[in-house]
Amino acid sequence: MSELISTSIMAPLGPRRLSLGWEQAQRNVNGNVAFVADLDSKPRTRVSLAEHISNYGRIPTGMTLGMILETLKVSNLTGRGGAGFPFAKKLEAVISSSSKRVPVIVANGSESEPISKKDVALLRNNPHLVLDGISLVAGILNAKNAYVYIKDREAAATMSAAIRERRDRGLSELRITVVDSPGGYVSGQETAVVRRIEKGPALPRFSTERVASSGVKGAPTLLSNVETFAHLALIARFGGDWYRLGGVSKDAGSRLLTVVGEIERPGVYEVTSAATLTEILREAGAGSLKGLLVGGYFGGWLGVNTLADLDITLDETTLNSKRLSIGAGIIGVLAKNTCPVVEAAGIVEYLASQSAGQCGPCFNGLPEISTAFARIALSSNVDRGLTELKAVIPLVEGRGGCQHPDGVIGLIRSTVAVFSDEIKLHKVGRCSVNGASHRSVLLPNNVFASNLTGIATR
Amino acid sequence: MKLVIDPTRCQGHGTCAQLLAEYIEMDKWHYPILNHNRLKDSHLDAAKRAVSLCPELAVSILID
Repeated sequence: MSELISTSIMAPLGPRRLSLGWEQAQRNVNGNVAFVADLDSKPRTRVSLAEHISNYGRIPTGMTLGMILETLKVSNLTGRGGAGFPFAKKLEAVISSSSKRVPVIVANGSESEPISKKDVALLRNNPHLVLDGISLVAGILNAKNAYVYIKDREAAATMSAAIRERRDRGLSELRITVVDSPGGYVSGQETAVVRRIEKGPALPRFSTERVASSGVKGAPTLLSNVETFAHLALIARFGGDWYRLGGVSKDAGSRLLTVVGEIERPGVYEVTSAATLTEILREAGAGSLKGLLVGGYFGGWLGVNTLADLDITLDETTLNSKRLSIGAGIIGVLAKNTCPVVEAAGIVEYLASQSAGQCGPCFNGLPEISTAFARIALSSNVDRGLTELKAVIPLVEGRGGCQHPDGVIGLIRSTVAVFSDEIKLHKVGRCSVNGASHRSVLLPNNVFASNLTGIATR
Repeated sequence: MKLVIDPTRCQGHGTCAQLLAEYIEMDKWHYPILNHNRLKDSHLDAAKRAVSLCPELAVSILID
């Protein structure tokens, strides 16, 4: 297989792999961490196809399905949309359903988490890496149609231009369509993506089958996050063993992270799997910390009491031992003088507002959960709030058509478990943060204006 | 055989809970809670009626 690897291109090592050629990534590399884009990343120009090829070399042709699967298994690439499912397994599931119907490829770049910006950074800076991955997998699956699902308008325009550039050069017979995501928290959920591609509403659908066997118009559908396809493009070029170099436990390669909150340099970072939280937060310019929201709104908290709490890598084995997961690659940073319970309650209020309104237990239960949690956050009536939560959570958990209500409950459980001392203080009408403001650090104001006092008196 | 209710379709009419009280109870918002879903042969007729009488077509029987 070595003859397939371009000899003129060096395999990238260190934290600039996906971000090779991105304007901001040129000058901000430190050890295992590279700052690669501002939150409102406005690249000078997108990386053209010619620049892309000079950065990475051509995608190898002639790789068989068996070779790709073997390489992927060695790499242990996992999906980058949140669930972290092994990509080789997903591909095998699609293959096993593809004997009767031609499969469809979907790259999900809807990035419906308001504080995530890594997908938009990737799509605006280097759409060709994503297209490489899509084309490669379409080739081995004999797929005729692929879709890239994007919320950000500029990223969608950039992707459309990149698709035209490849088509004009006759690079691919695959039909790749950009589909606009309307936004909204549940619009990126995989059955919602499938419905939107079918020209329906971007709302979750209940199904007893997985999209891998029955997705777009019932066809077997390989659906993964856009970043996953970009990694595939690198693994195909440089090999599974290259990807594993410097890997930590089962994880390897690099990942894009959005680091936000009370730090000096919020933005998108590319980090290797050996990067520790200490290194990442040093680059991001963090001060004295209360805790980190790891994985995003459906993730969980890491309480920070000593610097040793941050001396961990972000591999799944380490994070799982702390009941955490990197999810969609988000680190939300809370400084010492911010109340994590108030913060979580604001997020829960937002998530309750984002129910698709389809399932009774979700649209009835989440507002009740949010009200109960607001009482706890405001130290107004903590015991009543806890009693209400205990009664309503069993009526909601596991009863939605998608994971939305369970994600909300997971965030509340993590808050109550990690910040139990804080909740004890709230019980006696206090808060470790004097005059805790009710502004949300991890919930952008332009996305949602929280009103905890209003809902706590409901 | 498994009893399946699509929560995205269900509007809480309660027909299924009346026909299949051994399997389904209604919650405080009047939506069905499926306590267990393994359908006994002796309940198949009642389940078929629940499938055909649900106004939202939310009930189905999954053969596995």
